[in-house]
Amino acid sequence: GAGQDVGRSCILVSIAGKNVMLDCGMHMGYNDDRRFPDFSYITQNGRLTDFLDCVIISHFHLDHCGALPYFSEMVGYDGPIYMTHPTKAICPILLEDYRKITVDKKGETNFFTSQMIKDCMKKVVAVHLHQTVQVDEELEIKAYYAGHVLGAAMFQIKVGCESVVYTGDYNMTPDRHLGAAWLDKCRPDLLITESTYATTIRDSKRCRERDFLKKVHETVERGGKVLIPVFALGRAQELCILLETFWERMNLKAPIYFSTGLTEKANHYYKLFITWTNQKIRKTFVQRNMFEFKHIKAFDRAFADNPGPMVVFATPGMLHAGQSLQIFRKWAGNEKNMVIMPGYCVQGTVGHKILSGQRKLEMEGRQILEVKMQVEYMSFSAHADAKGIMQLIRQAEPRNVLLVHGEAKKMEFLKQKIEQEFHVSCFMPANGETTTILTNPCIPVDISLGLLKRETAIGAAPDAKRPRLMHGTLLMKDNSFRLVSPEQALKELGLAEHQLRFTCRVHIQDPRKEHETVLRVYNHLKGVLKDYSVQHLPDGSITVESILIQATAHSEDQGTKVLLVSWTYQDEELGSYLTSLLKKGLPQSTP
Amino acid sequence: VCVAGYGQSDGNEILQLIPPPTLLTKETQGLCPERDFKVECGGFSERPVYSLKYVPDTSLLVTSGPPDSSLQVWQVSAEDSDVIKSVSTIATENGTGQSWAKIDTISARAPWVLHGSRLDRVQITEVESRKNVYTAGIQGNEELSSLAFLDCSLLLLCSATGRLCLADTRQPQGLTEAVPAPSVPSSEHWCMGTQHAAQGSQPGSQPVARLSSRGLLALTDLRKTSEFLAVAKARVPSPGSGAEFLCVSWAPALEGYLAISGFDGTVHVYDTQSWDSSGREAEPIFVHKGHIFGGAGGSRDPPLVTVHTWHLQKPRTLLSAASDGSLHVWDWVQPCGKC
Repeated sequence: GAGQDVGRSCILVSIAGKNVMLDCGMHMGYNDDRRFPDFSYITQNGRLTDFLDCVIISHFHLDHCGALPYFSEMVGYDGPIYMTHPTKAICPILLEDYRKITVDKKGETNFFTSQMIKDCMKKVVAVHLHQTVQVDEELEIKAYYAGHVLGAAMFQIKVGCESVVYTGDYNMTPDRHLGAAWLDKCRPDLLITESTYATTIRDSKRCRERDFLKKVHETVERGGKVLIPVFALGRAQELCILLETFWERMNLKAPIYFSTGLTEKANHYYKLFITWTNQKIRKTFVQRNMFEFKHIKAFDRAFADNPGPMVVFATPGMLHAGQSLQIFRKWAGNEKNMVIMPGYCVQGTVGHKILSGQRKLEMEGRQILEVKMQVEYMSFSAHADAKGIMQLIRQAEPRNVLLVHGEAKKMEFLKQKIEQEFHVSCFMPANGETTTILTNPCIPVDISLGLLKRETAIGAAPDAKRPRLMHGTLLMKDNSFRLVSPEQALKELGLAEHQLRFTCRVHIQDPRKEHETVLRVYNHLKGVLKDYSVQHLPDGSITVESILIQATAHSEDQGTKVLLVSWTYQDEELGSYLTSLLKKGLPQSTP
Repeated sequence: VCVAGYGQSDGNEILQLIPPPTLLTKETQGLCPERDFKVECGGFSERPVYSLKYVPDTSLLVTSGPPDSSLQVWQVSAEDSDVIKSVSTIATENGTGQSWAKIDTISARAPWVLHGSRLDRVQITEVESRKNVYTAGIQGNEELSSLAFLDCSLLLLCSATGRLCLADTRQPQGLTEAVPAPSVPSSEHWCMGTQHAAQGSQPGSQPVARLSSRGLLALTDLRKTSEFLAVAKARVPSPGSGAEFLCVSWAPALEGYLAISGFDGTVHVYDTQSWDSSGREAEPIFVHKGHIFGGAGGSRDPPLVTVHTWHLQKPRTLLSAASDGSLHVWDWVQPCGKC
């Protein structure tokens, strides 16, 4: 069909024992069960409310929230649902709109009701940007600005020191009425990003806009009428600002209309949530509200019959019903007129048909409508492409990246690109597939003051910039970890400390007196063990570090001296070395 | 459409792009929804890519670039992957001062690549087996600026000094003819553009264009090399950084039209049918200035058009790329009254 396939976004994340559902979208291309996500993946038997800790909705597009009432009221979920304020305000309107069309126009029965939408929204908790929300004692979430549409957000989900960031749909380039997505250097363990448009290299926005304006201008110049079917919220505002600016610059007189009803509400919401628009709009808001247009007026049904050129924005966007379809029928027969489709059209709608090239349409009552007006398609969708995805990864510095996409796509190149440039692992699971990411959680351990003091007293002064190796005993009790000195640990555990001491006998042939032998040994060791502290004590014994060497005469053989080498367990290595050294005998020449 | 980076550091990408449907067909059938290019597959090259050619009838492509004159062979996506994989390297003996190899490909008896960086190092290698098939025995160590297969036996080479050499692979010593450069000053750098002969016509029947770094354009008929078909001068600034991006090409669907680029951020289109041998300044039919205006603010250096090519079917459509990473697809409207 024309344009990208609109999927049903729904992702389940398990993090540190918590289960979070990200988005709950509907697939607009199907009319049966395939339009909703398969919730049996979550849990076969248990109740969803028990299993899920929360549900997060990124924005109001139906492929991200369309299945929410079905999920919460028909499948059954009573836990919290989080979304931003604009999303909470606008979601129910779009859901109701779609419900009306599906049930009333198409006559479907197994669909959620208006009451269900209301009940579902009662479970929603609205959040502000950059506000840390405690879902429970351990789980917290935070929303970030995503651009794309009014109220769209990216969410960070954090439990302890593990975190995941889910982007939803986002846009890295600002447009005329929305800013660009932004993430701080939150370094999540995993970044989940939409990659449906990752293989697209967009042509320049300027070119696209210029082409659009050229088409509108040409049509209007020759006295034709331009119909632009739009969804109430979304690109319509962008195109309005674009046309308004162009009309002002070119001093054009032809009228531009915005059809009433849903669209008035739309402008109302933009004014209400002005902080969600971009900086330029907010700055100029005081002088002139960007959404109060000078050249764009409210439409009246009767105007469609007025002679002369005009531009009309009318809902709904796919020409499947309502005002836009009415106007289309009136204007289709005149080749001077033009219809510009600014978005994707679901199969079966008039919009889809004319985009596929059909020029004879069957309307109700078997009437054939001949389409002589020009049909154009200009997609102004605001999604991140490959460049945008790389930019976001650069900003957030995740340890792993997961690419989510509608249909099974070959994304090996992007995966390699991400892995090479950022040295992170990149995953691209298919529907129903589970991906496991290993994290390195940081475990905080308290170190006892006594141990700290003792360890720092050994060796050089502590340097804040250098890691320092310390020895202690790790005590794990309940949920706390402590590092204490071994003595302390033994004391706490009520265990006695035992010292292990080894003693070894080395026989040396030396007929001289004991104290002379000792002197010989001392000088020998001092000469060999230059880096060690070798001392000759007044009581006749020698110490090498903490190892003790004493000499006694052999009981039976005066010519043999017995050296007793004694060390503690800790000095095992040095002790063994000394012993083998002494066993080699003393050098002949004694200094 | 394939684009590749030529940056100094490694990690240059090769991207095979699918143009939007509007550009794929000659006439727009039904409605074409997209304006965007799609990355069909991509690969990573360790060296900058200065030249890239598909090998016809295979799923291979060949690239070349500094620091030496070896060639890299790549496999464009297999069924299950969108990665352009490096398959092999065709090594060449490297003398001192050798720059990167110019390449052209053909799949006549087998997939062949014609390559070389200097006149005396021109050879044909079979792509898959990497076996040498032919070595041109041309004297002269001048740098080679362009080369082309006229057909599977006839090769046309152009040195940087503007000398054209015609070689026949069936002749043991190779060199058939040499055509001197159109002008004497040797500081100019030359390149050439050839046209593929139409089906059934003799190879070499199409005029060859040579372009110099001063903007001189000389057209030669290979069947009569003693004189020039036409000579003209394009009004272009002298290329500052060097002549490595000089490019001249013939329009496949418009008789006598050619385009030049590499001097600045523009592409010029000329109709050579009115030219004579006087070397007068010629007026371009159209100048594409989009690359100059496309980029961010004026603080950066203006971009330089690195290469251009004609759309194979759409008559007045060209593609051009520039040093700022931009890719333009553009055409021009013929003023009324002219055909």
